[in-house]
Amino acid sequence: MGKKVLIVDDDPDIITFVVTVLEENGYISLMALNGEMGMTIIKAEKPDLIILDILMPKQSGIKMYRDLKSDESLKKIPVIILSGIAKRTFLRSQEALTAFGDEPVPEPDVYIEKPVEPEELAETIKNVIG
Amino acid sequence: MGIKKLLFVTQFEELWFDALQSLMDLRKAGLNHVVFIHVVDRDKVAMRRGKGYLKGEEIKLKEMANVRFIDWAEALFEQGMEVGAYILVGNLVPKIVSAAQEEDVDLIVTGHHKRSKIEEIYAGSEIIELLRRSSKPVLVHKYMLPSGKVNDRPFEKPLLATDWSRASKKAVEYLISLKNIIQKIEVIHVAGEKSLRGFSAMEVQKIRKENKQRLDETCEIFRAEGIDAEEHLYVGNVTEQINRAAHERGASMIVAGTTGKGPLKERWLGSVPKSLAEESEFPTLLVPTGGEQTGS
Repeated sequence: MGKKVLIVDDDPDIITFVVTVLEENGYISLMALNGEMGMTIIKAEKPDLIILDILMPKQSGIKMYRDLKSDESLKKIPVIILSGIAKRTFLRSQEALTAFGDEPVPEPDVYIEKPVEPEELAETIKNVIG
Repeated sequence: MGIKKLLFVTQFEELWFDALQSLMDLRKAGLNHVVFIHVVDRDKVAMRRGKGYLKGEEIKLKEMANVRFIDWAEALFEQGMEVGAYILVGNLVPKIVSAAQEEDVDLIVTGHHKRSKIEEIYAGSEIIELLRRSSKPVLVHKYMLPSGKVNDRPFEKPLLATDWSRASKKAVEYLISLKNIIQKIEVIHVAGEKSLRGFSAMEVQKIRKENKQRLDETCEIFRAEGIDAEEHLYVGNVTEQINRAAHERGASMIVAGTTGKGPLKERWLGSVPKSLAEESEFPTLLVPTGGEQTGS
């Protein structure tokens, strides 16, 4: 059975693009439209990989990533950030939240700034989870 | 209460990032989450004879908004804030109301998207429509002061216009929840000229005394919460006098409760919140009574 990959993004065009890449490469795709929905699916499905956007309604990828990496049972799930938000901003925001008293969190496994070519995305997923 | 999460409505005409920055003082009152919303007017992408639905135009307009929101979001994320965004196609007010409900925001911030006279006759004012459909307080933000300077502390010295209604009481509660960023509140009541017509001098003085006493009681509520407050009684046209008081007292914004008249009544007779929102030079915070407004 193929490995499960959760895509968390509010843009239906991006979801369609990533799902196509995943299915063409033999992965099972799961979808969530925001961080809140993403965490619910993660807890229920325990995916092998999460592909995460940052700027979304309800709950951003920054908050979701922090929640994920602060949960002992989920923190080992690898994450590829796929976003229009710069990596520098992601790191600075996590530093700011740590400075406000939250626990520090590790950097994501891979950070890709949109857009991405399908071959590059497929290759990256393969490198992370095989 | 308090303002932890706000919905920032921008059509990229009146409100830009500097308008949002001017609200960052709210962080002292607990603000930690900003949600942007931009609504592409359906008419801009609607079906055209010989062209069909303008999908290319929709993508262009949405991406233009996305580029701006990414830039704004980066600045806020780096300050440790939580940020969200909606870029939608449709009618402005229903989309704002729906996003405000979904996100459960504490405040909607909007510019004044003025409709044409013809549109107002048929559809009414957008601000009033928003207040009628949403139970959330609405700040019609005008971030440039009459002096031409940026109003970067709009909540510092609000002027509360009270008519003793349930909505006015709600506005008092709302302001108390913002006490960390308020230096002083000017509380005014305007006795309309019509309400004094036909009274003797003695009766007018009695009304003045009663109103003064109620104003003082309202100020006492604020003082008990550690907020400096001063009462003022004005007489005349309500909207004009509220504006005059805001100028005279150096207010940073006008705050009023709103009960939401029925759409037809408002359209033909006008309303004080609508006039303040659309005509005043000051940011205008309108606080509804709470609960869904259905209009009539």
